[in-house]
Amino acid sequence: MTGRIFEIREFTLHDGPGIRTTVFLKGCPLRCPWCHNPEGLSSEIQTMTRADGSTAVCGEDWESGALADELLRNADIMAQSGGGVTFSGGEPLAQATFLCEVADILRAAGVSCAIETSGHADAPDYRAAISRMDFVYQDIKHHDPGEFRRICGGDLALVLDNYAWLRSSGVPFAVRVPCIPGVNDSPADRAALLRLVGPGVTVEFLPYHPGGESKRRMLGGRQGPM
Amino acid sequence: MTPRIKALLDFTFDRRQDALRHDADWSRLLSRFVAEGTGDMARASAGLREMLRAEGESPAFLDGERIAFTRTVRQIPELHTESEMEARRAAGTAFGEKGVVFNITADFAPTIRDGLGARLEELGARLVKARAEGDREGVEFCENAMLSAEAVLELVEKYRAAAEKRGLAEIAETLSRVPRFGARTLHEALQSLRILHFAMWCEGEYHCGLGRLDQTLLPYYEADLSSGRLDDDGALELIEEFFIACNRDSDLYIGVQQGDNGQSVMLGGVTPDGAPAFNALSRLCLKACGELKLVDPKINLRVGRDTPREIYRLGTELTAKGLGFPQYANDDVVIPALERWGYAPEDARNYTVAACWEFIIPGCGMDIDNIDAVSFPGSLDAALRGLVRDGRPPKGDAASQDARPPLTYEGVESAFLAEVQRRADALVAKYRHVEILPGPFVSILSDGCIGRARDISAGAKYNNFGIHGTGIPVAVDSLAAVRELVFEKKAVSLAGLVGLLDTDFAGRPDILAAAKAAPKMGNADPRVDEIAKRAIDFWGHAFDGRRNDRGGIFRPGTGSAMYYVWHAREIPASPDGRLSGHPFPANWAPSLDVPVKGPVSVIRSFTEPDLGLVCNGGPLTIEIHDSAFAMADGVDKVADLVRFFVMRGGHQLQINAIDRATLKDAQEHPERHRHLIVRVWGWSGYFVELDREFQDQIIRRVELAAS
Repeated sequence: MTGRIFEIREFTLHDGPGIRTTVFLKGCPLRCPWCHNPEGLSSEIQTMTRADGSTAVCGEDWESGALADELLRNADIMAQSGGGVTFSGGEPLAQATFLCEVADILRAAGVSCAIETSGHADAPDYRAAISRMDFVYQDIKHHDPGEFRRICGGDLALVLDNYAWLRSSGVPFAVRVPCIPGVNDSPADRAALLRLVGPGVTVEFLPYHPGGESKRRMLGGRQGPM
Repeated sequence: MTPRIKALLDFTFDRRQDALRHDADWSRLLSRFVAEGTGDMARASAGLREMLRAEGESPAFLDGERIAFTRTVRQIPELHTESEMEARRAAGTAFGEKGVVFNITADFAPTIRDGLGARLEELGARLVKARAEGDREGVEFCENAMLSAEAVLELVEKYRAAAEKRGLAEIAETLSRVPRFGARTLHEALQSLRILHFAMWCEGEYHCGLGRLDQTLLPYYEADLSSGRLDDDGALELIEEFFIACNRDSDLYIGVQQGDNGQSVMLGGVTPDGAPAFNALSRLCLKACGELKLVDPKINLRVGRDTPREIYRLGTELTAKGLGFPQYANDDVVIPALERWGYAPEDARNYTVAACWEFIIPGCGMDIDNIDAVSFPGSLDAALRGLVRDGRPPKGDAASQDARPPLTYEGVESAFLAEVQRRADALVAKYRHVEILPGPFVSILSDGCIGRARDISAGAKYNNFGIHGTGIPVAVDSLAAVRELVFEKKAVSLAGLVGLLDTDFAGRPDILAAAKAAPKMGNADPRVDEIAKRAIDFWGHAFDGRRNDRGGIFRPGTGSAMYYVWHAREIPASPDGRLSGHPFPANWAPSLDVPVKGPVSVIRSFTEPDLGLVCNGGPLTIEIHDSAFAMADGVDKVADLVRFFVMRGGHQLQINAIDRATLKDAQEHPERHRHLIVRVWGWSGYFVELDREFQDQIIRRVELAAS
């Protein structure tokens, strides 16, 4: 089937072990104000306008087989370095069926797969995709359901149900927490979040970099429809 | 780093050694040479003797040093006047650069081992034989080489006496041993090497590498360890002191830019027998560089398919320090390439780099490996103009228009390759006969000169000439653009496109945009990489069957040296969308401003051609944002990238770990960035000491660095 992506980036350093290519899937059910990749929020194809007035189209449709072939061009170095492909976004699980198709081809070719997800997805989609992954970066952005809904527009229960399944699934994972000043960075917030995450789990607190602002401007402040 | 080393480092970095120097006026010596009609050989040894005599007037010792010898005289004697050299050129003699021996690597190991005294004895015996045979040239060589060696030993004796007088007992003791006698310890070996290298510079040779230091020094290090004289910390301290000394006089050494002084060291690889050569000293040399963070010596690391990943990792840890080295050379490609060019297997396995990246054999290579360069974009520009000029039918001559086969893309490519061949042949003709000015002292450090009683300038075992290929990626990208714009999309005629090159695409932003959007090397795009493959195949054979008068061949390479700036001035805009006045990429690297997918695709593109054909040298340069190394496994990932390059059959690679913002800030506030080191074209230098033109080129090439 066809899926929509907005970037294929090679030699990504923050998305798992070894030398990796990260493919960014377009569209996300959340609207976190600090998002680094605002161009990944809308599932629509968008036009970005640079400061000099030139434009770039953001979003491209790929057949799953074609995307897998493109990613497999670097299968040699992935194998040599213990790397692989990482799915990011947007929220990659928003296109779970497409993602599963691509992952199946990659895994059949011996390529290791990882995902970065908010976990904000229906349980069947989540389980289908995660069970195809060799590693999961599971975001948990806030410990409080009300705050999570108010700030990101999401349902924390959905995330936590999926997270509970992840912990029991045997798929290796780490929890990532974006540390946003004034949102979730107080000691009390951290303590509450760690309680939610549970014991014996690798937790990476990621410092906040205001990296998405210029891209937000290029999108004209619009993030587009979900 | 010990406090003693730190003090020596600070002293050198602050250039306090300059207070120990004075100027010399050598014009009277030169006038005497001219007036007396002194021959080249006698001038060389007289120049060295006078220089060393001047150095001997005030031996310099730095507080706390154990390895002595610091330059005190800024200028070395000029041996020929400009007009003398001009007259010889006018009479048809070609010279490489300044004419003297340069860009080679002497073989220091035998003389460190046997002592200069042993060489003097050999010369003495050889002189007797030459006299008996009536070999006047041999007599002249032996006499002058002996005078040179004796002058070195005289200076050493002055240093020794001065050290004794100042109560520097250890230095006095060391200098009573080396370099006259063979070194027994690592300390003596390094002191001996320091003096031999120092004397070479004083003879006027320049850009002469230090060679395979980890092999040269290994016997002394092992002897020290087994006798308990030294442990690894002690060895590290000595190596660090020697490395600092390499930076002490380097501002006096001649180069196109400050830092371009050719003090290269090669580590690792295989021994002449083919056994793995990376050893404990290789490790200590890498560690010393990482601690000192100086531009000299420039570290090269030989690797291959079977090199353990740990060694790639050790190299990358040095890259992470932001020194722009090690530069990697791939044994799997370079050794067979050198063998194919006629180097004996044991010599090929013993290769090092001459100064920047030209592969050379220590001691037996009198190759002039950077004698000139062919501009690939210049060749394309000339070929396109030729096609437009000749392809335009005479007015009203419909018949000839019909008779002419239509121009195809293939026609353009063959016209380009024909122009490359024409330029290659012109260089062969120009440099068929090259004279090198004698260097009797450096000849002592070279294989077989004493036995032959001939100066190395008369030839050594290998006498090949290297020709750089400048801007190959610019030409290849331009061909891809011509194919797409003129022949596929038919957006512009060839004549129209050539016209636009002279005006920087004035009035046709659409054509400029299309030119920039055409396929570019660095993206693993077969539409352009296949052109590169054909270009390299052609270039690799462009000198087949050509020989110079010394019996040597011409070796094509992918290097540019400084020509990436010079050759770019010779043409206006190019069909790839590069505008006039913009430089080419240095060496074998993506064109500037080309958006590339990332370093994996860059490596894939640039290792697609058969690089074994072009092993004169010339590295791929990759810029990696320095934040990559902030990650715990960043070093592993970059090390794997290097290994990927090697597995793909790359020949040579250098990596810059760099942040563009830092470079911009360094241009504005040089005083804050005195320590900032960058890789330039085949060497590392201090960014703030480069000319603006070279600074800007580096900033532009890091704009798209992987992060």
